[in-house]
Amino acid sequence: MDKFKNKFLEEANENIAGLEDALLKLEKAPQDSDLVEKVFRHMHSLKGGGAMFGFNQLSDFTHHLENVYDRVREGTMEVNQGLLDLTLESVDHLKNLLQQGDELSGDMATRHKNLSLQVKKYLESGATPSGSQSQPSSSGSQEQTYYIYFDPDEDLFDNGTNPLFLLDELVGLGQAFVMPCLQGIPLLAEMDPRKCYTHWEVVLATTEDHSAIHDVFIFVEDQARIEVQKLADGNLLSNETFRKALEEKYHKDQDLGIDAVKGLVPAKDTGTAAQSPKKGKQSNGQARKDEGIASIRVDSEKIDHMMNLVSELVTTQARLSLHAEHSENNELEEIAENVQKLTRQLRDNAFDIALVPVETMITRFNRLVRDLSNSLDKKVQLQTEGTETELDKNIIETLTDPLLHILRNCIDHGIETPEERRQAGKPEEGKILLKAFYSGASVHIQVHDDGKGIDPEKIRQQAVEKNVISPESQLSKKEIFDLIFLPGFSTSSNVTDVSGRGVGMDVVKRNLADIRGEVEIDSEPGTGTTLTVKLPLTLSIIDGLLVQIADNKYVIPLSAVDKIYAANHSDVVDTFNNLIVLDGERIPFFYLRKEFNMPASDSNTQEIVVVQYNENRIGLVVDTVIGEYQAVLKSLGKMYKYQDMISGATILGDGTVALVMDTNKMIERFSSDRQRMTNVESQKK
Amino acid sequence: MGKNILVVDDSESIREVVSFTLENEGYEVKVGNDGKDALKHLNGDPIDLVITDLHMPEMDGIELIKEIRNKEQYQRIPILFLTTESQASKKQEAKDAGATGWIVKPFVPAKLLAALKKVMR
Repeated sequence: MDKFKNKFLEEANENIAGLEDALLKLEKAPQDSDLVEKVFRHMHSLKGGGAMFGFNQLSDFTHHLENVYDRVREGTMEVNQGLLDLTLESVDHLKNLLQQGDELSGDMATRHKNLSLQVKKYLESGATPSGSQSQPSSSGSQEQTYYIYFDPDEDLFDNGTNPLFLLDELVGLGQAFVMPCLQGIPLLAEMDPRKCYTHWEVVLATTEDHSAIHDVFIFVEDQARIEVQKLADGNLLSNETFRKALEEKYHKDQDLGIDAVKGLVPAKDTGTAAQSPKKGKQSNGQARKDEGIASIRVDSEKIDHMMNLVSELVTTQARLSLHAEHSENNELEEIAENVQKLTRQLRDNAFDIALVPVETMITRFNRLVRDLSNSLDKKVQLQTEGTETELDKNIIETLTDPLLHILRNCIDHGIETPEERRQAGKPEEGKILLKAFYSGASVHIQVHDDGKGIDPEKIRQQAVEKNVISPESQLSKKEIFDLIFLPGFSTSSNVTDVSGRGVGMDVVKRNLADIRGEVEIDSEPGTGTTLTVKLPLTLSIIDGLLVQIADNKYVIPLSAVDKIYAANHSDVVDTFNNLIVLDGERIPFFYLRKEFNMPASDSNTQEIVVVQYNENRIGLVVDTVIGEYQAVLKSLGKMYKYQDMISGATILGDGTVALVMDTNKMIERFSSDRQRMTNVESQKK
Repeated sequence: MGKNILVVDDSESIREVVSFTLENEGYEVKVGNDGKDALKHLNGDPIDLVITDLHMPEMDGIELIKEIRNKEQYQRIPILFLTTESQASKKQEAKDAGATGWIVKPFVPAKLLAALKKVMR
C-alpha cells in the first residue's frame, strides 16, 4: 500500500500544482470555463485519491471546495477575487494536509477548521442550490476486493450478448483474477454451439463500489445468476500468498465457490462480507482506464541510476575503441565503431529522459510573485519566455531556490511601489521577465525587472566602507556588480522581512556553483536589473577537447573552445607581453606548461586552443591537441573541493586519468596571479 | 476496419447526435427513420450492431427487434434500444423480443460508448 501511497503523493502534488496554476490563470480570465473545468478536475482527483489513501481530512476539505466550483461550473456562482483568495489559501492548506495527513496539530487544526468554515459559508452564501446534485458516488472509496460469481443462462447468446465483453469490462474496473468454470461443457457430440455452458468466478480488487460491479451486468441481470460479495478491504491480489493459493486451488478444482475463496483470505484481511446489491448509475471510472498510456512515471532514482550506467558505458566504450584501434583487426574495429555510435545515441537519449522543462518551476514563481507583490502593495506581473527549454532534472531541483531568491529580490528591492513608478513616469505595474534560452552547450536563464535598478556607485561606496576594496581601486562596472555576490553584502539600505533575511546573493552564487552554474548581474539605474544565470546542459558527461601537456592529458570543454591554431615554439615562450597575433587579431595567451610549473617543451611546434573568456578570446598553449572526447565527469573528491580550476576528472580509454579544466576559473586565476606578480615587481623597482 | 452500426430513431436530432458520436469513434453509421425504414439496411448488408428507439411511427422498436431476430444473418448481433428510465415494462418487453441492452435517455456520448462497449468490440 505504501507503494501506492507514494504514487498518490506524487500525483496529489501534481494536482495541487495544476490547481494552483489553473487558479492563477483563472484570476486573469475569470470567465474561462475551461479553466473552471480544470480546477474542478484537479480537485476531484485530489478528493478521490485522498480518501483512498487515508487522507480523509484532505478529501473532506477538497469536497467542499469542489462543491463551490461545481456551482461555478453550473453557472450559479461567479468567480471573484474573494473566492480566488480563499481558494488559493485553501491550496496552501491542502499542501500542508498532504504533508501532515489526518493528524492535525494545534495550529493546523484551527486553520483547518477556519478554512473549512469559510468554504462552507461561501457555499451557503452563494446562489440557490441547484436541484441536481452531481455527487460522484464511485470514486473516493477505498480499494476493496470482491468475489463475483457470474453464471449466465444457456440461451444468453440469443440476445446477442457476448459474456466475454462483460468480463473484460469487469477486469477494467481494477485488478482481477478471472476463473472460467468449464465443467458444464458437454461432449462435442452433445454440444449445441448456440448455448452458453460456461460460468465464471472472478476475484476483483477495485475502488469502485458494489453498484458499479452490478452495473457491468446490468443488461443480463435477468439472464444470469450474479453474486457479488466483498472479500476484504484493500487489494488481496497484491498479496502474494493469497494469489498463489487462489491460483493453485483453481487449477486443482474449478468452481471454488465463495466459501472456498473466503477460506484463502489471510486472517487479518477478512472484512465484513455480503452486502445487498443495489442499482446505481453508470460509473465514470471507465473512461479513465481507456485512455492510452502517453507517458509513464519513473522513480527519479532509477533515472539517476541509468545515467550512472550510461556514464560507465561511455567509459568502457572508450576502452573498447582504443583496444580495437590497436588490434588491427578490421572486424573488431567495425564492431567498436558501431558500439560507439550506439553509445552516443544511448547517451543522448538518456540525457533527454532526464531533462525537465523550465516550465515545471514557473507555477511556484507565479505564486511567489502574486503573494509577495500583494503583501508589499506592489503591482508586479511575471512574464515568461522560452519555458519549454529543458534542463537536467537535478539542475532544475537545485535551481528553484536560487531563482526564487532572485525573484524575491526583484520584487522587494527592484520594483518600486506604484506611486514611485508613477512619479518616475513608468506604468504602475512592474514587469519581471523570466527568459530561458539555449546558448551553445549551456542554458541561460535571465530574470529582468523594470524596477529602479542598482547604482554601481552605491555598491562601490558600500564595498569601501566594508573594506572589501580599497578606495582607490579601479573597477569596471561588471566587477562592481560582481561584488554583490560577496558574503554579507546587501545592496538595499533597509532590511525587510522578505529578502533581507541574511541569505544573500552569495548563497545564490554558491548554490549555482554546485551545479556548475554562474550568475551575472547587470543594471541600469532607473530602468531595471538583469540577472543572468548560466547553466550547463548536464552534469555528468561533457563533450571535450583532449589535449596533451607534457606527460599528462587534459580535457577542455568543447563549449568553450573557439578555434585551434598551430604556433612556433619561439612565438609563445618568453615573449614580452604574452600576446600573439592570430588571424590578424592580438590574443593574450597562457603557456600552460609554465602556469603548471612544468619545464618548457623542447618541441618546435605548439598548439594554441583559443577559448572564450567572458567577452574576450584567450589562447591556451598546449603541446598537442589529440581530438574530441566525450568525458564522463567524476568528482575529484573531498580533498580537492577547494580548488576550482579543475572541475573534475575523467577516465580515458587506456585507463589513465585526464583532468577536466574549467577554463573560466583557470584564466581568472592566472590573470590575477600575473597581476600580483607585476605588482610585486613594480614595487621592487 | 470500422464496424457497421445501424441507428434507428424518428427524431433527427437524436440520430445526428448518435451518428456523430459513433463516427467520431471510427464506426460506419447507417441510419433509419423508423423500423420500416431501417429494414432496408437489413437485406444482407453487414451490420454489427443496431441501436434503436422504441417509440417510432410505422414500425416501432419492439417490432423491429423481432424482425431482426427472425433474420438468419442478424440473429445474434447485439441490439441496443433507447429508453427513458420510467419505462420498466417496456424494457422487459424489448428484452423478451431479443434486445441485448439499453441506453437510458437522456445520455451523454460517454454513456453511449460505455453501453456499446458492453456488447461489441
